[in-house]
Amino acid sequence: MPLVLFDCDTAIPERKRHCYIKEMGEDTTQFLPSSNISTIPGTLSERGCSYCGAKLVIGGVLKDTIQMIHGPVGCAYDTWHTKRYPSDNDNFQLKYVWSTNLKENDVVFGGMRRLKASMIEAFAEMPNVKRMIVYTTCATALIGDDPKKVAAEVQAELGDVDIFVVECPGFAGVSQSKGHHEFNIGWMREKVGTWEPEITSPYTINYIGDYNIQEDSYVFQKYFEDMGIQIIAHFTGNTTYDSLRGMHRAKLNLVNCARSAGYIANELKKSYGIPRMDIDAWGFEYCQIALRKVAAYFGLDDKAEEVITREVAKWKPKYDWYKARLPGKKVAIWTGGPRLWHWTKALEDDLGMKVVAMSSKFGHQEDFEKAIARGRTGTIYIDDGNELEFFEVIEKVKPDLLLTGPRVGDLVKKLHLPYINGHAYHNGPYMGFEGAVNMARDMYNAMNSPLWRLAEEDLSGVDGYAQ
Amino acid sequence: MDMHSNAEAIFNEIQEKCLWQFFSRAWDREENIDGILTKVGEIMAKEPSTTETMADKYFYADAKVVAAELSASLPWLKDLDRDEVKAVLQSVKEMLLDITVTRSLNGELRVKNY
Repeated sequence: MPLVLFDCDTAIPERKRHCYIKEMGEDTTQFLPSSNISTIPGTLSERGCSYCGAKLVIGGVLKDTIQMIHGPVGCAYDTWHTKRYPSDNDNFQLKYVWSTNLKENDVVFGGMRRLKASMIEAFAEMPNVKRMIVYTTCATALIGDDPKKVAAEVQAELGDVDIFVVECPGFAGVSQSKGHHEFNIGWMREKVGTWEPEITSPYTINYIGDYNIQEDSYVFQKYFEDMGIQIIAHFTGNTTYDSLRGMHRAKLNLVNCARSAGYIANELKKSYGIPRMDIDAWGFEYCQIALRKVAAYFGLDDKAEEVITREVAKWKPKYDWYKARLPGKKVAIWTGGPRLWHWTKALEDDLGMKVVAMSSKFGHQEDFEKAIARGRTGTIYIDDGNELEFFEVIEKVKPDLLLTGPRVGDLVKKLHLPYINGHAYHNGPYMGFEGAVNMARDMYNAMNSPLWRLAEEDLSGVDGYAQ
Repeated sequence: MDMHSNAEAIFNEIQEKCLWQFFSRAWDREENIDGILTKVGEIMAKEPSTTETMADKYFYADAKVVAAELSASLPWLKDLDRDEVKAVLQSVKEMLLDITVTRSLNGELRVKNY
């Protein structure tokens, strides 16, 4: 079947090039949804802005860095605390939020003095913190503030601080994807190679595209440490500013989220000759493949088998309990982009579930090539899906469960459909062996919760619930 | 099974499982497809494989996993002799390049910068 126009989109026929249903015998050279292009006016997009991609997804994860948001206070607040990425230093990055709190007066007369004062004040209030990322926002970009000039002045005046400036206002691109790109390329250009890490192992990697969502990073970090592998930099889960400056010293770039961080792996390969190896960090079987690949690169096959044997013995009985109870359940994956292709085969091959619809907010065509190659025939593939399309797809495929974000999640809860937070998880981690068990458990619990039945009951006459 | 059917079976497995065929740019995909499938051929033919450079090690690592998965899912592979393995993998290379590079609809494949 070619690209499809949903009934709800008759007034915006441009949506047709974003929606595809795969049929037997078709491949991605025939039909590939348009993606990473501007949202069509009139569609109720679920996308985030470009600044959000740089700050909320990548930079804001750093555990030792002041995140100075140069803009109105909402830009800071709305990209703080909405994603659960903890750290092993008491969650510094989740406890504090920084903003220049731009006001009308600054828009008229310029915000650079306020920015400089805010930066100096933040360093003074936190004298043990010596690293800062400054982000422009729509307002400060439009008035032409020059945060790089201010950062250079503050660095010169204070002497012992290092500052990275991300000039990626919300309007810079079509979605948060532009923010990922700007952060990656900017960091590579300005910071990689400016710090020398302590090397403690002959086997060194950068672990790229994992953001320690509910402690994901700790899972693979343990596996790698047990194999004798040193992680030079974790881009950017539970990581430090300086470790990211030392990425040039790793011997392998291991990439999970290729969409948000493939850029820096590509650049490291181009500039330093460090190979890029892509893995799927979610999924019981994928996890074993990932460890074996890394082991084969370093000649550590025995070490990998030890870890795999230990972890499989520990988690497989629990996994098998859910595996016996999930086959045939229909799932829709409506997330950012990469989780479409990371998860579809893991859910189908490992657990026997059926992924019947996939929607990506900010994926590029590369992501759809992967998702369609891995996905089933008959499955619906959507780029930048809108709210009405989601309702129509639900009616069409009748999923038992949705893996999606809180925005769509709250919509589907009103339809009494279970959803799992596909971005920040319900009860993670979801990566690795134990993560696969956690994810299976959350999916099983969601679909079997008595709340869905109770939500349909009228409790107005029940004692204790009246009034 | 004839040569084309053999190649198609391997091609389908790789399309579903391997991320290296979908790297960001045409030149990355070409490099991976050639480098990794060449190593897969060496591993399956039990020939010595060079792993002197970091690039060689990377191709070898991904190839080792591919070879193990193909051997497990396509047991008839063990009945092919060395020349037949090399020939069928050459066909797979051409099929992968065709779908992921030559006829790909991905508009970013030839963008100069990452």
